[in-house]
Amino acid sequence: MIPQAVLDEWYPVGMAAQVGPPPGRETMLLGQPITLFRDSAGIRVTGPDGDLAVTVAYGHVWACLGTPAHALFPIPEATQEGRRLVDCGVVRVKCSPLRAVENFLDIAHFPFVHTDILGAEPHTEVARYEVQIREDSDEVWATKVHFYQPQAAKSAEGGIVTEYMYRVPAPTASVLYKTCPARAGEWDVIGIFVQPLTEELCDVWPWMALFDDETPMADLIQFQQMIFLQDRSILENQIPRLLPLDPGMEIPTQADLTSVAYRRWLKRKGLTYGAQMVAA
Amino acid sequence: MGTEWVAVGLSRDLPAGVAMPALWQGRELAVWRSASGKLSAWNDRCPHRGMRLSHGFVRGETLACIYHGWVYGTSGSCIHIPAHPDLVPPATIKAETFLCVEAGGVIWVGAAGATDTPPEFAGYVPLRSVATQADAAALAQASGLEQAAQGLLGSTAAGGVCLILSTSQTKTTIHALAAKEADRVALSRWLDGVVRRAEERVLA
Ligand code: FES
Ligand SMILES: [Fe+2]
Repeated sequence: MIPQAVLDEWYPVGMAAQVGPPPGRETMLLGQPITLFRDSAGIRVTGPDGDLAVTVAYGHVWACLGTPAHALFPIPEATQEGRRLVDCGVVRVKCSPLRAVENFLDIAHFPFVHTDILGAEPHTEVARYEVQIREDSDEVWATKVHFYQPQAAKSAEGGIVTEYMYRVPAPTASVLYKTCPARAGEWDVIGIFVQPLTEELCDVWPWMALFDDETPMADLIQFQQMIFLQDRSILENQIPRLLPLDPGMEIPTQADLTSVAYRRWLKRKGLTYGAQMVAA
Repeated sequence: MGTEWVAVGLSRDLPAGVAMPALWQGRELAVWRSASGKLSAWNDRCPHRGMRLSHGFVRGETLACIYHGWVYGTSGSCIHIPAHPDLVPPATIKAETFLCVEAGGVIWVGAAGATDTPPEFAGYVPLRSVATQADAAALAQASGLEQAAQGLLGSTAAGGVCLILSTSQTKTTIHALAAKEADRVALSRWLDGVVRRAEERVLA
């Protein structure tokens, strides 16, 4: 049985620009077959029991199988003047949707998985940063995260110390803010919207809102796809596939405080789809 | 009853500086050889975030996990966490270890603490390893060899052969040994035929 709290959340189910007329696109959400199509009423998503609640935002279609517990989370930067919004397509990953989000929150892997791009030895240290579960917005936040990067973005030249902020505003979505190489004082915004197909299979939809007018769209997408394919080689080889929510099964360190807060937040809210509750 | 020693590979297929996955009684293991030649077999799961250690990289006498680079010594203890370079990792961070020994060119894994030794096949030398979907029964029938404790034993037109089998639910790995005086090329060809006939039986 899927907990009601899980059913009442919003999940991405596809790119809005790709939704066509019936028969539309068949996909899955939380193990149930769903169909996306466009008709005179706009974009619709149907499941085994009829129409689902739908929101279109940040280039993607979001659906809820239950009764939405709240509106979809805001990303104010999505409407900020001068930003380029980039839908990066999809990467299918054989892992828990929660593991995909947790990996996105992790910087300690940069030198080893994204070698010479997002990190490089010997610059492996993760300095202390701040993590909170913000009670007002009910989101997990990590701030003041600093990391040395050889090539932080497509538009970055040479190594720089990048500052990051991370937020988890929904169980299977995360948004990061990072130093913008092209414009001092601004943040580049990158999101991953993870569609839980089943507890052990997901479609990851990366999305960006950047200050970068120069880099061709195809190069931006290709850069992001390359990064996610590197992550996939990890995500499909973690044991167990489900994310362990009980302490004891895995050993976090100070660098993992964001992941610790994310796990605690999921557990507290009963968002256990894709999680393993008892140490095996 | 003695330890359940399982052949996980042939020595020459695991050179120094390399890690590989292996199966032991349904458990997934990482088997690796250090630069100086020391063999280790561990649970294929990094204690940090569960990444397969068989994807890791060997540096000298250590194995480093590919995900966050945690470094483990041959005892299984974590000795370095790159995210916290000045931290001495607590002794509790340790990969689960198994016994791993070589005998007659075959790598054997046994339970930690085992006191007996793996079987020996005097007069035989390693030929090669083959993975197949066919199970032990199909291989026994296709080869016409005798069932022995650790696999299949007997003689062929090309000479004596011993097939050590390690099985999981979906596949069998054959570690073939040839009698010293056997015709290795002919025996290898014979083995290909056995595997093919056994697989045909599976499909039929
Ligand atoms: S999972 Fe192995 S170092 Fe993090
Ligand atoms: Fe990554």
